[in-house]
Amino acid sequence: MQKNETNLPFAVSHRFEVTPRLARFLFSVVQFQARIGLAGLVAIVGLALVPAALAQETRDEDEKPVPILQGSAGFITSFDAGDAHVDPIATPVVLVPVGERWLFESRANFETDMVQLPGRSGFHGQVEKQVDYAQLDFIANKYATISVGRFLTPFGIYNERLYPVWIRNLQSDPLILPVGIGPSNSSTGVMVRGGFKARPQFDINYTVYFSTLLTTTPVDSDRFAGGRAGIFIPRARLEIGGSFQHLLQQERSNLFGFHAIWQPMALPLDIRWEYARSKRGSGYWLEPAYKLSQLPFLRNEMRRTQLVARYQQFFTGQLAGDELPPANTKQFEFGVNYYFIDGLKFTTNYGRQFSSMGNKNIWTLGLTYRFVVPLGPDGGRR
Amino acid sequence: MKGNWMLFFCLAAMTFLAGTAVAQERAKSEKSSKSSDDAQLLAACSDPANGNTWPQKTPRASQANHSTSSEQPERAEGEQRFRENCGRCHQPPHKFPPRVMASAVRHMRVRAMLTDEDMRLILKYMTQ
Repeated sequence: MQKNETNLPFAVSHRFEVTPRLARFLFSVVQFQARIGLAGLVAIVGLALVPAALAQETRDEDEKPVPILQGSAGFITSFDAGDAHVDPIATPVVLVPVGERWLFESRANFETDMVQLPGRSGFHGQVEKQVDYAQLDFIANKYATISVGRFLTPFGIYNERLYPVWIRNLQSDPLILPVGIGPSNSSTGVMVRGGFKARPQFDINYTVYFSTLLTTTPVDSDRFAGGRAGIFIPRARLEIGGSFQHLLQQERSNLFGFHAIWQPMALPLDIRWEYARSKRGSGYWLEPAYKLSQLPFLRNEMRRTQLVARYQQFFTGQLAGDELPPANTKQFEFGVNYYFIDGLKFTTNYGRQFSSMGNKNIWTLGLTYRFVVPLGPDGGRR
Repeated sequence: MKGNWMLFFCLAAMTFLAGTAVAQERAKSEKSSKSSDDAQLLAACSDPANGNTWPQKTPRASQANHSTSSEQPERAEGEQRFRENCGRCHQPPHKFPPRVMASAVRHMRVRAMLTDEDMRLILKYMTQ
């Protein structure tokens, strides 16, 4: 979409005259402000500006973004060392585009880990509520977007890009996921990020961020600063990158990681890899996923079927990590996904974990669904 | 007891969703099989590397018949950008209404750090 420079919300007239009528108006504003306080005035002006910004004209009326409610729902059952878990998950996402350069986005997560309790029949568990992100984005120019609020910590690729149940290929989290993402997978602060074509052969993407300490559940976060940078080579469909973070509390340590995504041109294959290292532990995971679309029989079914495997290792660090395995661990998983449509997926996998704390089997079976609901006229041609 | 009710409710909801989606899918497959032109275009637009030949692309494919020749290179470029960028993380989505797509693409510009040009071409491709 091309920018319509004449309709930017910052355009102001240079002619300014103070007439008696304007003076009376300004006086009444000052009086009103004295009654409701500065914060109240700012809130009212802000509320008044939102519909004005929403009402801005764009070049193509059909392509003017509309607020939407999207997200995913999943029903996952797993057997972890013989214990059955039932996990209904719902993650609604609200997107409110404002004008041509602003976006408010928020995602909440409602998840219940239901287990069988001794002496009681059925499955029981409490709903865990969490605000994954609630951020205001300002697209400053083609190189930078500024985000403030609560955002997913951009350390590695899994937390920010692959976490939702409808996206992830295997429903279990990688062992190293808790490394570098904070106490609730999110940060609270400010972030600058962007992606641009550096050369015709490759794109560069980057993120730098600062997060402050918050101890209020469910919006808690750690105090740290960090960044991530990556190079994407479209011709090879290869992305490689690295992450860095400096913890500004507790042991004030450095964390770093690397990631890669490769989709070979000749095969319906995705290969994802991630490595992370911190004082609390280090490890990696490697996840190939292959679609059976090249098989010459049952074409309609085969192109919807995906075989996935993941091998991962975790090594304990100098310090204990709350959510990290307490001992060196290896884990192999194998799974099958079947896409009824792109938003509805049946998923199952089997895994075996090897650890000095004891080996165990992990089974998972589930159904995930992704939905999109416009919260206004969608511009569809009926 | 409350947990059991929640369990039954979730199972029923997911079964309903699955049934609805499968029925929708069948209806679309039947519709698409009626048009041999669309099927040919669909095959032409398919991506053998990803196996992503969703029947939802049929309306867009049929519209492509009417697009002018000057729009074709941009459309092809948009499709290529779409496959390179969107498919890196998730299954390519089906077509949404234009204004919904505009919001989704802006969201992805921030989240997936799409370039300015990627955003413009993908939006054009997905709303044609």
